[in-house]
Amino acid sequence: MPKSAAHTVSARQVYIDNQTEKGGSNTGNLTETLMEELNCETVFTLPVIGGISESVVVTWILMAVLVLLSVILVRNLKVENPGKVQLALEAGIGWAQDFFEGIIGKENRRYVPYLITVLLYLAAANTVAPLLGFKPPTKDLNVTAALAIMSMCLIEFSGIRKNGVKHWVKHFAQPVPVVAPIMILEIVIRPLSLCMRLFGNMLAGFVVLELLKFFVPLLIPIPVSFYFDIFDGLLQAYVFVFLTALFMTEEME
Amino acid sequence: MISIDLNLVWTIINLVVLYLLLKHFLIGPVMNIMEQRKLMIEEGFRNAQTAQDDANRLKQEYETALSGAKQESVQLIEDARKSAKAEYDRIIIEAGEKADTMLESAKESVRVEREQTMKELKSQIAGLAAASAAKIISGNADEKESQDLYDQFLKEAGENDGNADK
Repeated sequence: MPKSAAHTVSARQVYIDNQTEKGGSNTGNLTETLMEELNCETVFTLPVIGGISESVVVTWILMAVLVLLSVILVRNLKVENPGKVQLALEAGIGWAQDFFEGIIGKENRRYVPYLITVLLYLAAANTVAPLLGFKPPTKDLNVTAALAIMSMCLIEFSGIRKNGVKHWVKHFAQPVPVVAPIMILEIVIRPLSLCMRLFGNMLAGFVVLELLKFFVPLLIPIPVSFYFDIFDGLLQAYVFVFLTALFMTEEME
Repeated sequence: MISIDLNLVWTIINLVVLYLLLKHFLIGPVMNIMEQRKLMIEEGFRNAQTAQDDANRLKQEYETALSGAKQESVQLIEDARKSAKAEYDRIIIEAGEKADTMLESAKESVRVEREQTMKELKSQIAGLAAASAAKIISGNADEKESQDLYDQFLKEAGENDGNADK
């Protein structure tokens, strides 16, 4: 395929073409670069527990940054005459608290801190690529799967805790016993959709951006990066916790 | 690219650790502060309400006391006026009585004096008459001499009578 044609077709098409043809020095180079960016390399290998991937290391860095920021920002909290930093912090936490309590109800506020944690982590992880230059950890299926498994456990746990094991078992056969297989499947389907939605969005955004950077390295990727990294990243973080909270409410009914 | 391995487990552990850390360092303190502020504001409202109730109650009390005091003062003035009037009347009556007694006693003393003077005069006149009579009887007095004697007698008696009248 000539180079001029590659400019005109969509990025996705180019990617597919590259996968299928694997011909030509230019496209071969692109494939190589892309695959290198897409792969989550193993950063180092520990003797007993095996390889530690890039996403886990980036998660550690994010954790350190988040915890450090919290420790620094939360110092000197005052009940009266709060400073600007404290007001901003309270506004943020207060917004998240109201948001989650609005979904799962005031009586289930014990789940709010976990949801806020996930929201913060996902927001940081999704936007970390343009801000700090790392590959976003959510581009790794392991991370999104881990998040989804945690969500699944939380969803089922909240249901069992609220209504008891008996009710939890019984609710699979409601409203009619015929739907039981679907209801049981739903246990897996809900986290799977969460996992794949997040993973797919982040991966697609990442791939599109890498392609764009490859073809037009100047200026054009800036607005696109704003869209895919900042807007889409925050949106996906929001959607993930929102759906988790929604599923929990459903399960606690 | 799409593969599940042990990193999933590490991520779960990471998430749990992050949850605990953030809950301890960020969400817990901030929520705690917000809760405290909420409590403080509620308490403030409650205190304000109590204070206002107290103030209203006190105002009511003061108003009642004030109107009571007004009535009391009116009563007091009325009483004072009454007692003053009674005292005034009493003093006037007493003074009148005293003046009457004094007038009476003065009149009495004047009367006694006059009686005494009349008595004295009578005795003097009697004495004079007796002396004149004796002179007339004893003396060989002529017409002229007797005439003088009468005149003298009358004069003396008139003088004494005038004295007694005074």
